[in-house]
Amino acid sequence: MRRATQDLLIGAVFSALSGLLLRALYSSTGAPPAPEAAPKKAEAAWPALAESAPKVASYVIEAKFDGERHRIAGQETIHFVNRSNAALNELWFHLYLNAFKNDKTLFLRSPFGAGRSGDKAKEYGYVDVKQLTIIGGDGQDLWLNRDRHSPDDPEDETDLRVPLPSPLAPGQALDLSLEFEDQLPELVERTGFVGSFHFVGQWFPKLARLEPSGAFAHFAFHAQSEFYADFGDYDVTLDVPSTFRVGATGSRVRESEAKGRTRLGYHAENVHDFAWSAWDRFEERSERIAGTQVRVLYPPKQTANAEAELASVRFALPHFNARYGAYPYPTLTLVHPPEAAANAGGMEYPTLITTGGPWYSTLGGGHFIDVVTTHELGHQWFYGLLASNEHAEPFLDEGFNSYAEAEALESRYGSGSVFGAFGLSVSSTALNRLFSAARGADEKIAQGAADFATFRSLGALVYSRTATVLSTLARVYGSDRFNHALGVYTRKFRFQHPTSADFMGVMQSELDSRAVTALTLALSERATIDYLVREISNAPISAAAGVFDGPSGREQKKPEAPHQAAQYASRVVVYRHGTLQLPVEIELGFEDGTKQRRHWDGSGFTFNVDNVGPSELVSVNVDPEQRILLDDDRSNNWLSTRSNAAPECRERALYAVQLLLGAIGP
Amino acid sequence: MNDRPENQFARLATPAAAGMLLWISRTLLSVLIGYPILLAIRASSMTSGPDADSVLFRPGSLLLLELLRTGAPWLAAAAQVALLLFGLSTILELVPLALALDLLWLPGRPLLERLTRALRIFPRFLALGAIALLVQAALLLAASLLGAALKPLLSSADERLRSILPLAPIALGVIACGWFGGALDTARAALVQQGELGARAALAHALACLRQRPFSVLFGLYPSVAGSALGVLSAAWLLTRFAPPSPSNLALALSFGAHQLATLFAISWRVRWLGTALELSAEND
Repeated sequence: MRRATQDLLIGAVFSALSGLLLRALYSSTGAPPAPEAAPKKAEAAWPALAESAPKVASYVIEAKFDGERHRIAGQETIHFVNRSNAALNELWFHLYLNAFKNDKTLFLRSPFGAGRSGDKAKEYGYVDVKQLTIIGGDGQDLWLNRDRHSPDDPEDETDLRVPLPSPLAPGQALDLSLEFEDQLPELVERTGFVGSFHFVGQWFPKLARLEPSGAFAHFAFHAQSEFYADFGDYDVTLDVPSTFRVGATGSRVRESEAKGRTRLGYHAENVHDFAWSAWDRFEERSERIAGTQVRVLYPPKQTANAEAELASVRFALPHFNARYGAYPYPTLTLVHPPEAAANAGGMEYPTLITTGGPWYSTLGGGHFIDVVTTHELGHQWFYGLLASNEHAEPFLDEGFNSYAEAEALESRYGSGSVFGAFGLSVSSTALNRLFSAARGADEKIAQGAADFATFRSLGALVYSRTATVLSTLARVYGSDRFNHALGVYTRKFRFQHPTSADFMGVMQSELDSRAVTALTLALSERATIDYLVREISNAPISAAAGVFDGPSGREQKKPEAPHQAAQYASRVVVYRHGTLQLPVEIELGFEDGTKQRRHWDGSGFTFNVDNVGPSELVSVNVDPEQRILLDDDRSNNWLSTRSNAAPECRERALYAVQLLLGAIGP
Repeated sequence: MNDRPENQFARLATPAAAGMLLWISRTLLSVLIGYPILLAIRASSMTSGPDADSVLFRPGSLLLLELLRTGAPWLAAAAQVALLLFGLSTILELVPLALALDLLWLPGRPLLERLTRALRIFPRFLALGAIALLVQAALLLAASLLGAALKPLLSSADERLRSILPLAPIALGVIACGWFGGALDTARAALVQQGELGARAALAHALACLRQRPFSVLFGLYPSVAGSALGVLSAAWLLTRFAPPSPSNLALALSFGAHQLATLFAISWRVRWLGTALELSAEND
């Protein structure tokens, strides 16, 4: 028994020491380095920031929420201004909630797994419009004259046309009144309920975005698609059971309580959507960050996650403010859904974002909480303030935002922006490149969300490859210059609906036409690039041998022995595969240890690198700083005449197997 | 039956030799197991540049991920070969284990005789290993099933409990596996001590030992397991704190030294446990 006690004590001491070491290892490798100062740029260098959006559709909504039956009864008025150049004879309404009405809708009949979550609801949801009238009109119910289904799709009711009784001239306004009733679905795709947790997004009848031409940018709700809407002001009153805690778009401006119910009034200006969440178990943290009141709603016992999210906002909000122009709203709400409602997580709405992750997300060296929080916060610019058409050009928000997310995370954490612990670091840029290269030129990036073959393809190309395209440009042109160009774009088109052409225009003026060509090819033409080298050749230069007829007669010179050569003519040929042209550096290594750099502007398909010198060329490395992240295959970028010994791999493999044998062996 | 000598000094003087024997065999087998993976890495061309394989371990892991992407088919094939070699190695490692136990028990015996004895009891070691594998698999399966059965009962509990509680049976299963592994070592010790004992009798002997001194087996193993963890974490900590940040020959040498010290530290505690197992087995006679 004495021996057992002794063993127990030794084991306990070892365990305690292991715990201390584990903690030290985590704090020395997983903790963030000192944050980089916010990017500096003289304000005068930026375009002036618009203070408000051209308001087209503003909403006042009264909604009564039944948490037991997961229903919402709504009264909505829309102040609509025809800011197009054409008279309007019709309106187009998006009833996104009808995507969850039955299995035959465009959204749900998509091949199983094609959507974002891949899950299927057991309880369906829908929105019924009871009545639509023009305020100040003759009281006619316009809803009776609506098309019964989405265009060319009898099974779908998410995109409905309503004829107007008389044309609405350019500049004219119209006030509409609607009554509607929502049945929320079980939460499998961002909106709905799980138990008493509710996330309510895309829940009210909403006008499609009116383009300047007078056409409505309307579309049936596809599982791979997101949204597109006009700016306006929202004033929403939510009548909820008093047991619920609510987070919503905008600022809370009214609050009253009576008979077990609470009426909460929210107001938001210059936004293009309104979402909210209600749960009777939310806990709350609140803090003022960079002039914005930030509120985090999170599940019980997830204070560590909430604190990590606040820390992310503390870094990323000032960072994005400096990069892309100041966040213009007084509030920002973060909703961390419970694990069972994870499908509500990782989504953006104006002034409200959803994060996510299990309670243990902050343990270990991973930065999952930071990644999701920074990404969704970035959407306040790339979606919120630059309200591009997410259905037609999803890369403009998701792709650009993935770049912004990676840039911010790497400014905060350096190379371990996704993971950093135990001597291993994984950066966002590396991860984006991995997914980007895996899908390569499968499809073009610049296409509609619904046109992608699968959501995985969309994910790799729209998110990762777009970010990799932008990172490549940042590395080729210099990150300061590229980030400034992106900052000009975000400021110039604030409160607008920029297209890819708008972006190219800014790149043309801020970078050059080569950058625009590269962007166009990479985004729209499935263009690729792969630099490679195949062989190194060295020839000793010796005095010319042979028979020479000179003024003094015929002379015969014998070839010198190779070891006598004082000079070597070395050549390596660098090839460029693919249609993308990007300038690249080539590093030459010589036998005597010296190195040389050569620059190739990328034109043509081959580049001969010749050198005459006292030492043989022993290695070549194309793009040694890995600036061309789009390079399809980096394993063919170099050659060395030395043996391929892989000593570090050998050492690590040996140790890893020793550990495995120790753990599992006899 | 029990031919244990009285030379306690000699028995105490041999742990270092036994440890070296286990370290050498484990290292050789590890080189063998890792070889196909190394070949696959080198075949990928990711290490054929001027900086060899140091590029794979640069901050951010851009090229390490590139290796996983471009070399995936070779790496997968190599991993299968390595797995097969690993399985074979766990069998082959029984011979040095038998030698180490024999060395700890009878220090003065000639090597050839020791090797002959080890080879003679090897089939019984193998049989014991197979039994242990089956029992441990059954224990883990039962633990997993229990964990899965717990999940629906926890639907109303908070997220933390829902994720932790189903792991509790699995943790207990792992401890039970370790416990049984300890008993297995006692059975191996009995086989070494009593050369003519059958595998079944050795197992019965070990189970009797487990019944009589359950905590001696469990706690006897504890320093060995915790010591292995401490060794690994110490090496990681030392390298994080003191190794040069950029790849170099010095960094490689430091890494090798720290890792092998960690391995030797773990093996030394394993040897200590084997000595305890021999004592427990002998005390149970």
